[in-house]
Amino acid sequence: MARKQSTGADRARAGQVALSVPSTFAQYKTLLAKDLQQEFRTKEMLTSMGIYALLVLIVYGAALGQTAQATDVLQLSGGLLWALIVFTSLLGLNRSFNHEKEQGCMEGILLVPMDRSVIFLAKATSNLLFLLVVEVIAVPLFWFFFLTTAQPGPGFMLMAVPLAVGTVGMAGIGTLLSTITVNTRGKDVMLAVLFVPLIFPLLYACASPTTAVVVGAEGYLDVFTQSMALAGGYDVIMLLVSWVLYDFVISA
Amino acid sequence: MEETAAIRTRKLSKVFGTRKAVDKVSIEVPQGAFLSIFGPNGAGKTTLLRMLSTLTRPTDGSASLMGIDLREDPEAARGRIGLISHNAMLYPDLTAEQNLLLYAKLYGLADPQARVMELLEAVELKHRRLDVVRTFSRGMTQRLSIARALIHDPDVVFLDEPYSGLDPHAVDIFDQLIEKQREGRTFVMVSHDLRKGFDMCTHALVLARGRVVTFGAKDQLDFDEFSELYRSTVGMGVS
Amino acid sequence: MTNKPVKLPEAGQWPDKVAPWALLAGIVLSTLGFLMAFLYAGPVNGAAVDGVELIGGQMVANKLLLSQKIFYFHMPVALVSFCALAFACYYSVRFLATKNQRFDTCAKVCMEISLVFVICTMITGDLWERFEWGVWWTWEPRLTTYLILMLIVIAYFVLRNAIDEPERCGVYAAVIAIIAMVDVPICFMITRLIPSSVHPVVLREGGMSGDMGMTVAVCLAGLLLVGFALYRFRFRQVRLQERLQALKDEVEVLEERR
Repeated sequence: MARKQSTGADRARAGQVALSVPSTFAQYKTLLAKDLQQEFRTKEMLTSMGIYALLVLIVYGAALGQTAQATDVLQLSGGLLWALIVFTSLLGLNRSFNHEKEQGCMEGILLVPMDRSVIFLAKATSNLLFLLVVEVIAVPLFWFFFLTTAQPGPGFMLMAVPLAVGTVGMAGIGTLLSTITVNTRGKDVMLAVLFVPLIFPLLYACASPTTAVVVGAEGYLDVFTQSMALAGGYDVIMLLVSWVLYDFVISA
Repeated sequence: MEETAAIRTRKLSKVFGTRKAVDKVSIEVPQGAFLSIFGPNGAGKTTLLRMLSTLTRPTDGSASLMGIDLREDPEAARGRIGLISHNAMLYPDLTAEQNLLLYAKLYGLADPQARVMELLEAVELKHRRLDVVRTFSRGMTQRLSIARALIHDPDVVFLDEPYSGLDPHAVDIFDQLIEKQREGRTFVMVSHDLRKGFDMCTHALVLARGRVVTFGAKDQLDFDEFSELYRSTVGMGVS
Repeated sequence: MTNKPVKLPEAGQWPDKVAPWALLAGIVLSTLGFLMAFLYAGPVNGAAVDGVELIGGQMVANKLLLSQKIFYFHMPVALVSFCALAFACYYSVRFLATKNQRFDTCAKVCMEISLVFVICTMITGDLWERFEWGVWWTWEPRLTTYLILMLIVIAYFVLRNAIDEPERCGVYAAVIAIIAMVDVPICFMITRLIPSSVHPVVLREGGMSGDMGMTVAVCLAGLLLVGFALYRFRFRQVRLQERLQALKDEVEVLEERR
């Protein structure tokens, strides 16, 4: 059978409504705007993630109250900061598909003729934005609570680089995984079970440069560049794999 | 020009694990028809509907919609399908207008704003357009859902248990709205309500255990005969 | 799309006739390898302690350790686990391409086999560690990445258990299997990427001597055969179960029709 074009011209219902094929980018913007509008109205993700991050910091306060020296805190800070980010992003990612499930919206979106990887990109971007906003609040708070007395290394501002690279990777893999786990029993635990092992290499590659720049010991830039290359590579591979596989996941 | 059938399936099958949910269904529905699908729970009604609306991939067989093969070019078919189900598919935290605009833009309408207003008027929700969907009653949500499904002016509209949770008054309004949209469109409905499904349809399909029991135009049957037939077949599916 | 028939793996074909013999040969070769490790391959320098260290409650100095012998099993077992994972990934890709349940079954069985070998690797590795490095566990890169690999394999089964619909379960599991494959080369390369690692890089340190190489090869061949045989046995069992279930369903339908 000859394939028919789906443009307005040969539609059986003699085109009361003019349709054009929207660009992928326009659809991406529309989907992203939808997530932001929703968040703007409910402020659900940001408040829950923000408060959770604050609570983790308070728990750290109890744990770190035992360390006598500021240098100890510096050594620990990179790891603690990343633990905070991993737990907070777990919380956020778990909720990111709740709205899509609530009234079966995901199916409504799937009925629209478009490339499904756009859904992935839009969701990953909104997750990334929410995570970055929370980090922008949580990281200075971390400094305020624990590091005001310590002397961080000269290049400590460089920690923004591993933070950004790590967050991009987490948002990407996390979006794929939360699409999977939203359809499973016990989804909260399921996401943690999948998410933590899969981001572990990235976590490892980001925690070490963060610590390196905060401590600022001799030759910290070597550690920094090497780890960042690893983290960047992992990001690229994982994002590509997630992008390619997303169509299968969302259609299942 | 010979008119293409709205829906044509050939030995369409769907297997879940070892269970045959839909087993070699072959039907042909002309354009402008209203097809009601009947059958007991687990007869494969919803699975068939989901396959026709490209949400589920068939295991075997073929299906075409307005002459477009669903396996070869699902994307082209999607542009001509509307689906109204018991799930409204609306974001509860967005306003009615935002919801419709979202879909209008995704479908790439030339003038989203005008189309959204037109539809809001049609489903009599214009006065509530700036309210969040979460505050709507079930009936209003379902009406908005009609507007959502029709936004891109689809040729085939699928209704999946659209009455669940509606009170009789809301059902009447819903029916009137659907009636207004009948012209030129093909409808396919899955419903538990035998009487209602039979009244509205022009074609009827009875499934049991995933297989076709009866398929034909309504004018060959009256309701009593039909319900007799239905009752005798339903026993097959319920174990 | 699926016009040309896909060749499906099925139980009861020639591999199932070979499998018992493969298992036998595998056992014989592995036993041979075990004997060779102690009788044929000499103690190696790589496994010696330089200086004085506390291992297992004893002060040890400049001694060729017998515990190095476990290497002849540790490495082949690890390689077989990678192999099984690679096959799981291959079948997962086939499943996503064809959506045929059979490939999902294959991938699942491969994953089960790889879990068995991953656990064996962890146990042999841990024994080695205890008696070579003197600790039960250390956060060394190869160990860490391998632990992560084990967790992903376990997560694969946890995920499968949490989904009811077979097709969705298959797709999600396949995606995880493919992503898990990304960790395999990382795990494999990590001792080369981060040279500070205590884990020996066999090939970097001038390779193995002839007797060592021979022993490793015999063990590897034996364990690969064991792995293959286990896969076929398990596949046959699962597959026959599926067929039985399908027959039961059919009988049920026929009985109702009567």
